[in-house]
Amino acid sequence: MKETRMVRGLMVLVLLVFAVSAHAGEVYKLGFSGAITGPTSDAGNPLSKGIEDWFKYVNDTKMLGDDKIECTIRDDQYKTDVTKRNFEEYLDEGIVFYLNYSTGSTLGLKMDFEEEMMPTVPSSYHEGNLVNSNYIFIPVATYSENMVALAEYVTKNHKGGTPKVALFIHPSAFGRGPVDDTKKAVAAGLDMDIVEVVEHGKDLDNSAMLKRLMSKGVQYVICHTVQSPVATMLKDAMRLNVNAKSFGEEGKLTFLGAHYTGGADLIALAGDAAEGFLWTCSYNLTTEDNEKSKKQLELAKKYGRDDKAANSHNYAAGILQAQIPTEAILRAKKAGLEVNPENLTKMLNDMANGFDSFATVGPVTYSKDDHVGVDVVNIYKADGGVFKAINSIESEYMKKLRAGM
Amino acid sequence: MSQNRWLATGNFYTTYREEQRTFSTHLDRTIFTLFLVLLFAWPMFFDLGNKYMFVVDNILIAIVAVMGLNLVTGFAGLISIGHAAFVGIGAYTVASVCRTMGTSHELVTHFWPLLIVLSGLMGAIFGGLVGLPAFRLKHLYLAIATLSFQMIFQWVINFMTFFNQGQTISIGRVYWITGKVGRGDHYEFWYYAILVIVILLGFGIRNLLKTKYGRALVAVRDNDRAADAMGMHPGLTKVYAFALAGFFAGVAGALHAYVFRGVGFESFTLHESVSYLAMAIVGGLGTLNGSFWGPVAIRMLDLQVEHLSEAAASYLPQGTNLATASKPLTFGLVIVLFLMFEPRGIANWWRITKSYTKLWPFRY
Repeated sequence: MKETRMVRGLMVLVLLVFAVSAHAGEVYKLGFSGAITGPTSDAGNPLSKGIEDWFKYVNDTKMLGDDKIECTIRDDQYKTDVTKRNFEEYLDEGIVFYLNYSTGSTLGLKMDFEEEMMPTVPSSYHEGNLVNSNYIFIPVATYSENMVALAEYVTKNHKGGTPKVALFIHPSAFGRGPVDDTKKAVAAGLDMDIVEVVEHGKDLDNSAMLKRLMSKGVQYVICHTVQSPVATMLKDAMRLNVNAKSFGEEGKLTFLGAHYTGGADLIALAGDAAEGFLWTCSYNLTTEDNEKSKKQLELAKKYGRDDKAANSHNYAAGILQAQIPTEAILRAKKAGLEVNPENLTKMLNDMANGFDSFATVGPVTYSKDDHVGVDVVNIYKADGGVFKAINSIESEYMKKLRAGM
Repeated sequence: MSQNRWLATGNFYTTYREEQRTFSTHLDRTIFTLFLVLLFAWPMFFDLGNKYMFVVDNILIAIVAVMGLNLVTGFAGLISIGHAAFVGIGAYTVASVCRTMGTSHELVTHFWPLLIVLSGLMGAIFGGLVGLPAFRLKHLYLAIATLSFQMIFQWVINFMTFFNQGQTISIGRVYWITGKVGRGDHYEFWYYAILVIVILLGFGIRNLLKTKYGRALVAVRDNDRAADAMGMHPGLTKVYAFALAGFFAGVAGALHAYVFRGVGFESFTLHESVSYLAMAIVGGLGTLNGSFWGPVAIRMLDLQVEHLSEAAASYLPQGTNLATASKPLTFGLVIVLFLMFEPRGIANWWRITKSYTKLWPFRY
């Protein structure tokens, strides 16, 4: 009798264990490797927090039902060999989706993504990521789209002949990539005269360069680099009194910049000299005070982030980078498909009817031929110590260039 | 020579031939052979996973490079601050073949041992060229000449479109007698390939140092005028030391290209040159086994500091950037501590340990 009770008890226990495990749900493994410390960590650190917070939010709010996302976040200190090591580790762990960071490592691992057929969303918006690639999905408008969009904005709003432009770029593949596309846009009919391409060094003073540009009749300087060299240049321009007070002011220089040149960090570095700077970005800024920014700030508050991270557009970039695989997983589950790299790639390739993200200024859409998520960029203007949206633009010439490719 | 061929109780050589033996006792030879067997056998019993096998491969590549640096800086006494550029020459030799013939060309995928040797030769040519100022320059002035080469290399790679302006150039997967080496076997395959190369080059150096050419390196380092008076040509010896170091670096570069399956500019910067120099110092300049200890110590330290700074980054405020600073700080501290307290490097600890076991169980 006692033995029968024990057997029954055991059977109930076994059934309970099975019942619990049946409700436990799946765990989808993802991996992110980025510069949380080291060079460019001023962008990489808040970005990784955005990724971390979004996946916590997905699990906490049971967005995927009983299923969970387990995203391992590793620091690669902006070194491709460490990124490769992290990627190998993630592959061994059986990830279904990968999130990468830098341009160098994305290009370096592109062949691995192809071989492993691993859908990848990088934080790098380099146009070259898309060449000979089937598995890289860029979250927002590429650097080239940003720069060409700025060039188009200049030609549309410039009064009196062909605008004379200088390009101020980072001395690397990241900086040079969009220059070729801008030159192609000019060759395709964009009415603009590129007078000089300046690859900046680590100059502490840009007086000579600015005077040279002035002597060549340059009216606009379009920047594609990071904030600190732009801040140095803007401060020098203010000191020399050559910065335009309004767009296209005659005899002065109007400064414009793409994605990584602007944001709160530029204002912190350049102060008043940043006033009037025009900046393109596909992310919604918290200074805009709209429903989208409220959601971003709520998320940051929920997970105890400080104001600097909460208001950073890089935090928004991290959120979007995490939202893309989440959406792919949701769609795969809805379609009754197994959540694996192959099906997630398929879901992204079929995402013509995209989704809206509170982190961005436009919808995120993908197709087999279009691996760029958000095509729209906002033009923000530094005004009173904050960037305010003044326009929204989608580069027409980049569409033409891609169609011709 | 001791009567007992298994245990030596002192250095009793009666001929130069005896002194030049690679192993002084049978016990040394047996232990070394067992160690080699262990090196070849352990991957069959322990699965490290691709991540850590990649780390091991990296250490072996650094060993090849540091063996070369030890020849020029340790044995010949010529400071080279451009060693990473020589490694880059080897890597970009493979990359250039890929750029011109394609990543899947048979020369890259099937004849890879040939390409590795070719990369070594390219490294040797450039090493010899950079060594030419050694005819007239010495000490720090010569070091600056190697630094110039490092700078020229960086600028050329960074700006020439042929080298993809420093962006990664992909390298195809290689073939072995069993077929194409896929991802599953990639790091283990290269572990064995690099291990064979390390052993061959290690024995090469060991034997070289017994010849007049090897002794000339040491003689020129100790006193180049005396070496000149003894009939050696100090200038040519220095150039040949640079060429030898270039060969080792070139081979290391080719191995790097194959293991990473890509060549990008950032692996061959001045920072990497300083890292190689640090490995040679920490391991022990002017010793063969120091070339093994240094890369192991520095690469493992790097890995541990990486884990620590990653953990610290989650707790420390972003603005302080303490986590970012921890890696260079630790690196610098280790170099300073070694220079202050153990300038002969880890190789000296090995020497002390060996002396102790040689005497044991006696006190002296």
